[in-house]
This record gives sequence, C-alpha cells and structure tokens, in this order.
Amino acid sequence: MAESKKMMRVEITRFDPDRDEVPKTQEYEIPVQDDWKVLDAINYIKDEVDPSISHRWSCRMAVCGSCGMMLNGEPKLTCKTPLSDYDETIKIEPLANFPIVRDLVVDMDGFMDKFRKVKPWIVRAKARAEDMEDLNEKGTFSQSPDQLATFKQFSMCINCLLCYAACPVIANEPEFIGPAAIALGHRYNLDSRDEGQAERNAIFRGEGTVFSCSFANECSEVCPKNVDPAAAVNQAKLAAVVDWAKGLVLPREGA
Amino acid sequence: MTRAAHPEAMAPPKKGPTRTAPPQIPGSWWGAPRIRTYLLFGATGVVYFLAGTVVLHLVWALGKGPDAWAKVMDDLSHPLYLAFHALTLISVLFVGIRAFGTMMPKMQPRGGPLPVLAPGLVRGLIYSAWAALTLVFSLILAGKI
Repeated sequence: MAESKKMMRVEITRFDPDRDEVPKTQEYEIPVQDDWKVLDAINYIKDEVDPSISHRWSCRMAVCGSCGMMLNGEPKLTCKTPLSDYDETIKIEPLANFPIVRDLVVDMDGFMDKFRKVKPWIVRAKARAEDMEDLNEKGTFSQSPDQLATFKQFSMCINCLLCYAACPVIANEPEFIGPAAIALGHRYNLDSRDEGQAERNAIFRGEGTVFSCSFANECSEVCPKNVDPAAAVNQAKLAAVVDWAKGLVLPREGA
Repeated sequence: MTRAAHPEAMAPPKKGPTRTAPPQIPGSWWGAPRIRTYLLFGATGVVYFLAGTVVLHLVWALGKGPDAWAKVMDDLSHPLYLAFHALTLISVLFVGIRAFGTMMPKMQPRGGPLPVLAPGLVRGLIYSAWAALTLVFSLILAGKI
C-alpha cells in the first residue's frame, strides 16, 4: 500500500531581468517529507517541477551562508529551517533590502563594498620589514586563549546577510555600514595582533556611521550563528567614542 | 588532466549591465511579533514629547505666579492627566528595562582592563542603582531629605 505524502503549497518570488518589470509570485503544490528542510523543497521544485528557478545554496549545514532567504517574511537559512515549522503554505522570497538579480538570488556587491570598507584583516602599524624582524625574533604573533575569547564570538559570522535583511535601519539608510560588516570590523579591533583600531574607529564614525544603529536588536534575533552583531555594533559605538575622546587630549601616534 | 582556469576566475565582480529589481522589504514587516517591541520602543518618543510639553507648561505657570501654579496643579489632578502620567511611567519603565536590561550588558567594553561581567550581574547592578536613585529622588521630592 502506497504511503500518502503530505502536500504543501510553496510560493516563490520569480524575477527574470530580461522579461519582468517587477518580481512576481509563482505557486507550486508539491509532495513533502517530514524531515525536509526548506532548502529541500526548493531543490525538489528545481529538480522535478520547474528547472528555471534560480537560488543559491552550497553546504547544507549552516556554514557557507549562501541560502539565506525570507521565509514567510522572516530572514532564515533555508538549509537550517525545518519545513515542518510551516503548515500548508510557505512563502519564499529573496533577502529583503537587497537588489534582486534573479528569482531568489540577490546582488551582494553592496555588502562586499561595506565589508572591504572596515578592513576585515589584521592591520599592523609598523612597516613590514620591521614587522618581519619581530616575527623572526618571536616566531609568530602569539595569542592566549583569553585574548582569543575576546573576539571569537564575532569571528563566527558566515556572511549569510540575514542581519542586513532584518535591519530596519538598512531599509532606510542604505549607506549604513550594517551589522555583519561592523561586527567583523570590531572583531579585528579586539584582536590582540591588530593595530588598526584608530583607522577602523575613524571609519565607524564616518559615512555610514555605527551611530545610525538604533538598537532594534533584529540582527541578533535572526543571526543563525549567535554572533550577536547588535552587541558588536554597540561595543563599536562605545569604542569609537572613547577613541574620539582620547584623540582630543592625547597626541596621535606618529603625530 | 588539468587545464588552465578562466583568466577571470575569482576576479572581483565588475560593474556590468545586469538589471536588478530594486530591494524590497516584506509587506508585513510591521506585524512581525519580533519587531513590535522595537516599534513600541520608538513610539514612546511621542509620550516623552508630550511629557516635555507638560513640563514646559509647568515652568511657564511657575513664572506666571502662585495663581497660575495652583491652577496647573489643580488641572494635573484630572483623571486624564493621571492616566497620561501612568502612561509616561510605563514608558519610562519599558525603555529603562529595554535599555539597561538588553543594551547595557552587551555594551561592556572587551579587551580592556575591566573584566567582562555576566549579563545577569550587570542587569542586577544597574537595576539596584536605578532603584536606589529613584528612592533618593523620591525622598527629596517628598521633603524627607
């Protein structure tokens, strides 16, 4: 006797830049299994029903950060979200606040520009040759477990951009650097090997300033890796103010 | 077995002619249960604005003389004013708890000379200080100190 499968209605945003003026919604009625994640349903539609759907995905284990989408209006990783969390209908849309390239695929260039802006790498203040002398003497830039613990939480970001889709400030102030980029910039500011705090704090106070954040805390609510970007943003605010105040009374290094 | 990769493989994205649909936000964003707390947080600004006008009115009455002051005091005992003051108190408590309970524990500086305290401990210290200050000011306003 054949097992009856549960049917589910899946509404997916469709947008073909060569044909459509604006995105539209297409509905699919598909058989689903209890153990499916939302990504399985999208892949089923892509494989068995409509191969023209475009979406991003890769690791299927909440590590690569590719498959972030709006599920019934909430930004979530589709590979991590059980389909059983939804009843008979689920609406799948591309991440909010991003331009739509095609169907469920968004344009990430805006984020990449902001990401580069905060210098998400270790900055050394000394000239490279002098730096190498230090390295040759010590062998490496050592770091204690306590020093690592200071920033480790913020380094767990997978750039899934759910925080940008949830942030009400980004929706209104596109120049705002935004949660993930600030969290990663702040991560390097807290790194004991880094010496670029003054540069980054100046960036945090500049265009797209961290002070645009109104602490909605939405970014931390939706973060699938518990990075707590809202904490990073608000620590960055405090650090930027302290750095600015220090600059008023203390001479800058090298000045 | 291998062959050269495309010369532009892994190159940074170029600005091209690809047409994109403009960014969108969900039509029901304001109805999401999660964001209602934030909207309420913002809406308390209206209450503070109105409370500010009441304070300005009090200052104005103080400058006009004892009769004007007595009249304003009488007006403030109206049930609508009392309801408004209750709403202001609720707003202050709501914003205070959100700010000191959620924001402050997260904002502790990291990597400095001070230890990072447990969020519950920070909340407890802040609420204790808040209660102590409220008590002191209440006693001052009541003329007990």
